[in-house]
Amino acid sequence: MTNRAPGTTGSHRRRTALIALASALTVSMAAACSAVSTDGGASPGSSGAQPGANGAAAGEAFGSPAKADEVKQGGKLVMALSAEPDQLDPTLSRSLYSRYVFHAMCEKLYDVDADARIVPQLATALPTVTDGGKTVTIPVREGAKFSDGSIMDAAAVKATFERNLTLAGSGRKSELGPITSVEAPNASTVVVHYKEPFAPLTAALADRAGMVLNPKTTKALGNRFSTDPSCVGPFKLVKRVPQNSIELAKDPNYYDADKVHFDSISYRIITDANIRAANLRSGDVQVADSLSAQEVPNLRNEKSLTVLQSQSLGYQGVSFNVGNVDGVGTPAKKVNRASANEPKIREAFKYAIDRAGLVKVIFNDLASVACSPISPKSEFSSEAAQRCSPHDPAKAKQLLTEAGVKMPYEVTMITSNNPDSLRLAQALQSMVKEGGFDLKIQPVEYATLLDQQDRGDFELLQLGWSGRIDPDANITNFVGTGGSQNVSGYNNADLDAILTKARQGQDVAERRGLYAQAVEKVQADNPIIYIYRQFNLTGVANTVKGIQVFPDGVVRVAFGGFSK
Amino acid sequence: MSTTEAPLTPGPSVADGDADAPREVGRRRRIVRRLIGNPLAVISFAVLLVAVVVAVFAPWIAPYSPEQTDFARTFAPPGTSGHLLGTDDLGRDVLSRLILGSRASLEVGLLAVATALVVGVPLGLASGYFRSLDAVISRFTDLLLAFPFLILAVGLAAIRGASLGNAAVAIGIAQIPGFIRLVRSETLRLKSLDFVTASIVDGAGDLWVLGKHVLPNATSVILVQATVAIPAAILGEAVLSFLGLGIQPPDPSLGTMLATAQQFAARAPWTAILPGVTIMVLVLAFNIFGDSLRDALDPKGSRS
Amino acid sequence: MRTYLLNRAWQSLLTLILATVVVFLGVRALPGDPALALAGEDRSPETLAAIRLQYGLDQSIPVQFGHFVNNILHGDLGTSIRTGTPVSSMMRTALPVTLQLAVFAIVLATIVGVGAGVVAAAKRGRPAEWVANGLALIGLSVPHFWLGLVAILYLAVATGLFPASGFVPFTENPVENLHHILLPVVILGTGLSAVIMRQTRSATLDALSADYVRTAKAKGLRPSAVIGRHALRNSLIVVVTIAGLQLGELISGAVVTEQIFGLPGFGKMTLDAVFQRDYPVIQAVVLVTATAYIAINFLVDLLYSLIDPRIRVGGEAA
Repeated sequence: MTNRAPGTTGSHRRRTALIALASALTVSMAAACSAVSTDGGASPGSSGAQPGANGAAAGEAFGSPAKADEVKQGGKLVMALSAEPDQLDPTLSRSLYSRYVFHAMCEKLYDVDADARIVPQLATALPTVTDGGKTVTIPVREGAKFSDGSIMDAAAVKATFERNLTLAGSGRKSELGPITSVEAPNASTVVVHYKEPFAPLTAALADRAGMVLNPKTTKALGNRFSTDPSCVGPFKLVKRVPQNSIELAKDPNYYDADKVHFDSISYRIITDANIRAANLRSGDVQVADSLSAQEVPNLRNEKSLTVLQSQSLGYQGVSFNVGNVDGVGTPAKKVNRASANEPKIREAFKYAIDRAGLVKVIFNDLASVACSPISPKSEFSSEAAQRCSPHDPAKAKQLLTEAGVKMPYEVTMITSNNPDSLRLAQALQSMVKEGGFDLKIQPVEYATLLDQQDRGDFELLQLGWSGRIDPDANITNFVGTGGSQNVSGYNNADLDAILTKARQGQDVAERRGLYAQAVEKVQADNPIIYIYRQFNLTGVANTVKGIQVFPDGVVRVAFGGFSK
Repeated sequence: MSTTEAPLTPGPSVADGDADAPREVGRRRRIVRRLIGNPLAVISFAVLLVAVVVAVFAPWIAPYSPEQTDFARTFAPPGTSGHLLGTDDLGRDVLSRLILGSRASLEVGLLAVATALVVGVPLGLASGYFRSLDAVISRFTDLLLAFPFLILAVGLAAIRGASLGNAAVAIGIAQIPGFIRLVRSETLRLKSLDFVTASIVDGAGDLWVLGKHVLPNATSVILVQATVAIPAAILGEAVLSFLGLGIQPPDPSLGTMLATAQQFAARAPWTAILPGVTIMVLVLAFNIFGDSLRDALDPKGSRS
Repeated sequence: MRTYLLNRAWQSLLTLILATVVVFLGVRALPGDPALALAGEDRSPETLAAIRLQYGLDQSIPVQFGHFVNNILHGDLGTSIRTGTPVSSMMRTALPVTLQLAVFAIVLATIVGVGAGVVAAAKRGRPAEWVANGLALIGLSVPHFWLGLVAILYLAVATGLFPASGFVPFTENPVENLHHILLPVVILGTGLSAVIMRQTRSATLDALSADYVRTAKAKGLRPSAVIGRHALRNSLIVVVTIAGLQLGELISGAVVTEQIFGLPGFGKMTLDAVFQRDYPVIQAVVLVTATAYIAINFLVDLLYSLIDPRIRVGGEAA
């Protein structure tokens, strides 16, 4: 019950209503607009959109920023969290859920807006890239203060970079790329030097790697920063009761403190989706994340509630073991199984999957079909990158015949033993039967699943990825040769070349084209078959305003307030 | 999980310790007569009999395959034509799943108790009979008891992987101490009785004494303990499956059905209520029958 | 007596040492790697190596065991791999929750169980006995986690009478604390009260048929006085015994109850630790429960041997 599939809840990037971030009026206008009319189409508005007939066209509802005249000052917001955040140390944090809390206490150099675009937060503009991509200059906001009142400046940013690169156990090192050095020539400028160009940096800085830490605290506490974290943010940590709650209070030192309405925020950990919903109904909590898709239609009928929905940047799918014999990251070897050596079998499996049917049965249409690692929301997406194969059981059988295997062809899939994954697996099992497959399900505990997938002890596995803003982080690690999460053991030199070029490219259009090619390569060999993208479903009581969820899945509550 | 009374048995002992053959036959008759005379015993036995018959012939009795999905008819309420007890989230027939799930529950119950018996009874006999082994076996018993049952079972199920057999063995291992203790104290008691002492003095071999005198006379206590342990194992399986460590889908298990139904409890209450009621009926039948058996075996006959 | 006590103490210590070794090896026999479980989505080889280094998982098993034992002897239960906080401080927050749950459940179960047991024994053959017996059987047979789910569904969600989950410390708000803990206590107490009821009933029946009670009755003492004076005392011994022997059961029950009601207790902490392969926490939990189990049973034995010296002749090593 506690374990969940990898990236069960999609999310990423962080943070909050732009309205409060930048003081410029123009920026706040832009945010207000984008929050209600997204390119996902469909009806905007606070009550949430009706999902379309097919998942891909489903609408989204991000929520809107709080207008100053509709909220009152004060009050304690209670939010139900679906999982317990791990360490509240941006360098060491590994759980997606810590970002829900960080967004209210640790601001980042950059943030994401409702269109999954990167916008400045503690930086004042997007970075300037020179020297063929090897030098990145970031202008840093002046006048911001940490929670203890000390000044946040370029030196603090530099110290944060260095901590992220060197602290033992840092989860950020790989996100930052091949950095050679970081300089702070003056109080408002940071210059990052690279060995090779690294385009995903800006996106990384819109997540935990971009959270600026108070150098005094990091110095005093070292790797125990999480016991008394200090950052720049609208709220600061007051108390944490493990397994139970996290309490934040408004930070008077915050540069935009007059945009903050709540006195305090209390996060309560409630792992059961039904119980989160029950607490939301009873009014014990005002916000709850990761609602069950089965429960949402009922919740939408309640007058006192609003359900926000945004499509995850990640994906869920299945992965064949095509070359992982000695463990993830080791050179690919021949796997003695037809499904590993005969691409036609994997292609047949793809045709056997009824993506739209799965989304309907399992998620009540509150998810969208996916055929690509790149979210259609991403600015790096294109029509080519979203090309999808239809559900065609006849074609699947024909491919199996061509592959020369006997039908029904038996495939064994390992899957996590939580009820959600098992439902999906069972639905998949009965769907692919028609396409000539006999899918055997082997449920294992989540910890065992991780172990088996890394050791290569599987034929097929169910996997998911919560998604990142930059497409590189959604593709390269998973299908690039030797990638740390390439559990398929897939290797393809052509694909590697495309991905390297895309990673180093600085031009959006160029990268877009390269990622379309990359998707095509993956779809030709099918080491991973992408199936669907989750929706981040967040319930909000109508007594509060200004709660938003962007494509990164982070529930932004910090600038909300109780309605007048 | 269930709070069993098992460990408490070092109370008044049940069996009368004489092995006179004619009296033994008479005693058996008396016990059967008492059972038949007790309506609760008859009813519970009938329920169990039906459950066993249904379990044995489950594949022929169940109207559908328990794995057969029908995505067009999910969450059909009970009474829907063709689905007497409705369908679940994947459109599977709830009645068929209950039937096959009960079968799995019975299998786990019997397999677990068989495991506990096979290990627990010999160890209990040895522990009670041979003083030299007593200390070692008692430490082993203490060790098993010092681990909370669920932690032990969850750990074992995790180590061995989740499946019906492994869940049963995990539960069985957790039940071993109860049997060891019971058989040990019964052995101690029987050993001190005249006819056993006499046999030992006559130079009978240890194994012969154990097999001829001790074990047969301990049978009734063991039987009563087994009727307590089976329902406990059924409940244990439900808990393990609920936690994802028991029987694995798509095979139906009452515990797994509950775990899945939890999400849909508001929308389709029958998917949550029916498996729970089924577990309760099964366990209740075992408990009542166990009680009746205990009463019938009680020489004082005072607690019907 | 002294020899007996020394002997029992030595046996307890031995069990504890064995438990320590078994749990240490046992958690390492679990498939899966705590570093992987912890790393989550950031599974780069460097991250994994750093985690293993930080928690000493890269060392050989004997070395790890040496550290473990050494730390325990210095009163250090280790640091949770999952949360990075000392296990002892996790226990300090989790134990009171479970203790409150367990103690309340025992108290409730004792009141209900002893009451119903005495009534059932006193009113033999009357409807009251049937009702009490029936309820006890149902209490024994119903899966507690299911009862919890049904209670949440119909008592918390549908009516809003009780909160569906969560916990408020007693020191923070006693009323809310009781409000939150009531349903879990009732659920956890159900099975226990059934056990106590049945034991009380049979102990009372035994007592009522004992010679001295018959004598008391013959002397014209009122039945209620007989029951009150003699039978109840017997029942209390039953309760003490059950508290000792059912500790493991109670903890197991608490695990599931806490899981369902989202109480941040010892059981939930344990289950999470097992699923996350949080070795230090599992080790500490087993060590603490084993110690508690052994200590309680030692006390129970002690009480028994004080009440009735014959008991230790039987050599019941609990």
